[in-house]
Amino acid sequence: QSLPKINWRMTSSFPKSLDTIYGGAEDIAKHVAAATDGNFSIQTFAAGELVPGLQAADAVSAGTVEMCHTCSYYYVGKDPTFAIGTAIPFGPNARLSNSWFYEGNGNKLLNEFYATHGLVGFIAGNTGAQMGGWFRKEINTVDDFKGVKMRIAGLAGRVLEKLGAVPQQIAGGDIYPALEKGTIDAAEWVGPYDDYKLGFYKVAKYYYYPAFWEGGPVIHAFINKGKFEELPKAYQAALQDACAFANTSMMAKYDLKNPVAIKQIVAQGTVLRPFSQDILDACFKASKEVYAEISAKNPWFKKIYEDQVAFQKEGYLWMQLAEYTYDTFMMIQQRNGKL
Amino acid sequence: MSALLRLSRGIDRVSEIIGKFSGYLVLLCCLVSAGNAMIRYAFNYSSNAWLEIQWYMFGFVVLLGASHTLRANEHVRVDLIYGALSDRKRLWVDIIGIILFLLPSCLYLAWLSWPVFLLSYQQGEISSNAGGLIRWPVKLIIFAGFALLALQGLSELIKRIAALSGAYEIDTKYEKPLQ
Amino acid sequence: MFDFGILPPAMFGSMVIFMLYGFPVAFSLAAVGLLFGVIGIFTGHFDPAFLQALPLRVFGIVSNDLLLAIPFFTLMGAILERCGLAEDLLEGTGKLFGAIPGGLAYAVIIVGAILGAITGTVAASVITMGVISLPIMLKYGYNPRLATGVIAASGTITQVIPPSLVLIVLADQLGKSVGDMYLGAIGPSILQVLIFVLFIFALSIFRPKDIPPLPLEARGELNRALVFKVLAGMIPSIVLIFLVLGTIFMGLATPTEAGALGVVGALALAAMHRRLTWDLVKQGMHSTMHITAMVTFILVGATCFSLVFQGMDGGRWIEHMLSHVPGGAVGFLIFVNAFIFVLAFFLDFFEIAFIVIPMLAPVANSLGIDLIWFGVLICINMQTSFMHPPFGFALFYLRSIAPRSVKTSDIYMGAIPWVFMQLILVAITIFWPESVTYWLDKTPPVDLSTIKIEVPAFGNPGGGNQMPNFGLPPIGGDQPGAPAGAPKPDLSQPPKF
Ligand code: NA
Ligand code: NA
Repeated sequence: QSLPKINWRMTSSFPKSLDTIYGGAEDIAKHVAAATDGNFSIQTFAAGELVPGLQAADAVSAGTVEMCHTCSYYYVGKDPTFAIGTAIPFGPNARLSNSWFYEGNGNKLLNEFYATHGLVGFIAGNTGAQMGGWFRKEINTVDDFKGVKMRIAGLAGRVLEKLGAVPQQIAGGDIYPALEKGTIDAAEWVGPYDDYKLGFYKVAKYYYYPAFWEGGPVIHAFINKGKFEELPKAYQAALQDACAFANTSMMAKYDLKNPVAIKQIVAQGTVLRPFSQDILDACFKASKEVYAEISAKNPWFKKIYEDQVAFQKEGYLWMQLAEYTYDTFMMIQQRNGKL
Repeated sequence: MSALLRLSRGIDRVSEIIGKFSGYLVLLCCLVSAGNAMIRYAFNYSSNAWLEIQWYMFGFVVLLGASHTLRANEHVRVDLIYGALSDRKRLWVDIIGIILFLLPSCLYLAWLSWPVFLLSYQQGEISSNAGGLIRWPVKLIIFAGFALLALQGLSELIKRIAALSGAYEIDTKYEKPLQ
Repeated sequence: MFDFGILPPAMFGSMVIFMLYGFPVAFSLAAVGLLFGVIGIFTGHFDPAFLQALPLRVFGIVSNDLLLAIPFFTLMGAILERCGLAEDLLEGTGKLFGAIPGGLAYAVIIVGAILGAITGTVAASVITMGVISLPIMLKYGYNPRLATGVIAASGTITQVIPPSLVLIVLADQLGKSVGDMYLGAIGPSILQVLIFVLFIFALSIFRPKDIPPLPLEARGELNRALVFKVLAGMIPSIVLIFLVLGTIFMGLATPTEAGALGVVGALALAAMHRRLTWDLVKQGMHSTMHITAMVTFILVGATCFSLVFQGMDGGRWIEHMLSHVPGGAVGFLIFVNAFIFVLAFFLDFFEIAFIVIPMLAPVANSLGIDLIWFGVLICINMQTSFMHPPFGFALFYLRSIAPRSVKTSDIYMGAIPWVFMQLILVAITIFWPESVTYWLDKTPPVDLSTIKIEVPAFGNPGGGNQMPNFGLPPIGGDQPGAPAGAPKPDLSQPPKF
C-alpha cells in the first residue's frame, strides 16, 4: 500500500477576492491531488471560513488544520523573526528571494526557527515588488512624511514611524471611506491588479512606488510539523513540489495581470510617483536602525537577518551585471517603442 | 441547599462588580475613540496602541458583561414556546438548558481558550502593528469570560433548583434589557 | 440533498429545534454546534483539535473593530432616548404630521432612514429606533403589530443605506469597491423608503384605526407657535445627525469613530438642555453593556455552529446544491435569493458572506451578472431575512427592548407585511437592474493600447536613454558611458503620460 487515503484542510489567510494569492492555495491542493492520484486530498478554505486570516499559523500549530497558506510576517507579534520569512524593508526581490530560500540558507534557517513554533514552512507564492500605496497628497521630501496617517502594517510601520509618519491600523472596512474623506492620508495594499479592484484610485490621486518594505514578499505554506513528519515520503515530496509550483505560478500571474491593471489605473487619472532617492535613503537608514534594535534583543532575528543580508550583498552585485544591464537595455527599447 | 445559595449569592456579587466595571468601560471606550479621532485630526498624532485599546475594551465589555447579562436574564431567547409556559416549566427549561447547553459550552470554550492565552503569555506576544499592545490580556479575558459565564450559570442553576423546591423566590419573567 | 451525508442538513434542522426550545439563542447555537462537533469527531469528519479554532474565532470577533459600532451607536441611542431629545425629534416630526393618520409611522420611517445614514449595523439601528419610538407609538394607540413592524423595517433600512456593515463585508467578498457598493445601494434604499411610505398611506385609508392621528391635545393646534416649538425640539437631534455625518465628511473620524463622537455629542446636547444626569449616563452605559454582550454573544454562538458546519463539509453541501440550479441569469438570481432568504433564518450575515457569497460570486460573474447589482440584491434580501419571523435577528433585538405588554406574536405578525414589501423590492431590483446600476459612475471603456506610461529615468539624470551607472565607478574596470563619480540617478521626477 503505497498511496494511503489522506484528507487535509488548508486555511488561507486571504479572501477569495484576492484570486491570485488565494489561487496559490488551490494550486497546491490541485497539484498534490494530481501527483497522488487523488489519494492525498487537501480542502482549501478562505480566510474566516475556519479561522480568521491572521490566526492561520496559530491554527496550524495547534493542529486545528494540517496546513495554511499565509504570510509569515503576519505573526511578527509572536517573534519579529517571522517578518524575514515574508519580507522586511529593503529585503531581496522575488528572484533573489527564491535563490536565498531554495539554494541559500533561507529555508534551512527559517525552518529551524519555525520548528520552535511547531511549523514546517515552504515558500508557496510571491507577489513581486509591490506598490508603495495610495496617497492623497504628494510626498516629495522626507519631511512630507511627517504626520501622514497611513494604514500600513508590521515592520514597515515602524520604519515610517521613525520618519514621523503615523501608522494607523484602522478597521478593514473603514479604510476606503477613511481614505476618501481624508481621515487617513494613505493606505497600502498589494499592487495594481489587487488595488484596482478595491477602487482606491477613486479616493486617492497619487500611487507611489516601490513598496520598499515588500521588494519580493514571499507567501508561505505552513504545515503542522508532526503532521508533516507522519506523511509518507512520496506525499511530502508531492506537497513540496506543489508549493514550488504555486510559488512560480503566482508570480507569473501577477506579471501578466499587473501590466494591464496599471494601465487601467492610469486611465482613471491616477498619478504615478516614485518615492524620491532621499526618502528611500532615509527609510533605508531607519530600517537599519530598526534591525539593529531587534537584533540586539533577538538572536534568531540577528542570525537569519545577517545571513540574508550577506546573501543580498552578493546577489545584488551579480544582478547589476548581466541582469540589470540587459533589463535596462530592453526597457529602453520598450520606452522607445521599438519592442 | 443554603450553602449552595450562599455560593450563588457570592457568584452574583462578583458578577455585579464585574458588570458595573464593564458598564464603565462602555463609556470609557466611547471617550477614547472620540478622543483618538479628535487628536488625530487636530495634531496629526495617533498611535496604534490607542486604536487597539478600543477593541480591547470592547472585548472586556462583551466577555465580562456576558455573565452579568445572564444574571439579568437578558440574553435574548426565541420565546415562542417559552413565553407560553408556566413559571415551573420555565424553571425546568432553564435548568435543563443550563445543564445541557450553557455549562458544557462555556466550560469547553474556557478549556479551549486557556492554552491560547498561555501560549500568548509565554511568547510575550505583541500586536503586529507598530506601537501596538501586548496581546495576552485580551486572550486571558476570552478564557475569563467563558469561565465567569459557567460560574454564573452555576449560580442561576442553584437559584432555579431552589426555586423549584420553594427555597428561593425567582422571577422567571423573561426580562428585557432596560432602555 | 444527502451527497455530503445527512449531517449538514441535520445541523440546520437541529438548530431550529434547539432555538425553539426557548433557551437563550447564543447558548443554543453554541450547544448545537458543539453537539455536532462531538458527532463529527466520532464520524471522523475532524479530530478534536479542529475545535481549537473556536478561541481563535472568538478572538476574531472581539478584534473586529467594526463591531465597535454596536456599543457606540447603542449608547448614543440610549442617551438620546433617556434625555428625551430623540423623542423630541420623533414626536416633533410626529406632531407635524400629527393630524394625518399614520403621522408617527411616517416619522419613524423618515427618522429610520436618517438614522440609517448615521449607523451601519442593524442591531444598533433597530435598537435605537425601538427604544426611541416604540413607547410613543404605543402611548398614542398604535396597533402594536404595526408599531413593531414599522420599527423593525425602518431599523433594518440601515443595512441598505450607506454606511453599512453588510455592504462593506459584501464588497470585500465580491472583490468590488465599497464606494461602488454604496452608490449602487442608493436607488434601492430610496425605493424602499417609498414603498414603506406608500404602505402607510394605504393603511391610513383602509385601516386608519391601526395608525390613529395624534389627539388634538397631544399634537396641539397647528400654528406658528407649534411649528416653531417643534422645530426647536428637533434641532438638537438634527444637529447630532449632522455632527455624526459631518465628522465623517470632514475626515475627522472613520465611520466607526463617528459613533463615538455621536455619544460625546449626545452627552453635550443633553447637558445643554440641562437633562444630563449621572444617573442617566449610568443607566445608558449599563444597558448598552447588556445589549453589546447579548448581540456579540449571538455571534459567538453562531461561530461555534458554523465552524462545525464547515468541518462537516456544509460548505461543499451548499456548493453542491448550487450547482444544480436551473440555467439563466434570472433563474439563478431567483434561486439564489430564495436560498439566501432561507439561509438567513439561521446564519448571520457574516457567516453567509463568508461561506456562501464566495461560491456564488464566480457563478454570477460567469453568467454576466454585474457584481455590484448582485451584492446590493443580496444585501436587500438579507435585510428581508433579518426580519423574518421567528428567527430574524432584528426581531430578537426588538423583542429585547420591547415592553412586556407587546407580545412576541405581535412582533412576528407585525413583521410579515414588511417582509413582503422587501420581497417586492427584491423582485423590482431583479427585473430592473438600472435601479442599482444607474447610480454607478460608469467609467467609459478605455482602449488600453492608448495608455502610455512613461517611467522617469531609471538610470541616468534627465531620463536619458543610456545605460545605468549607479553614480559609482564601474565594476571591474573601465566601462564606456559610466564615468566615475557621475551624479546619482534621479528618481524624484514625476512620470509623464
Ligand atoms: Na503591501
Ligand atoms: Na446605514
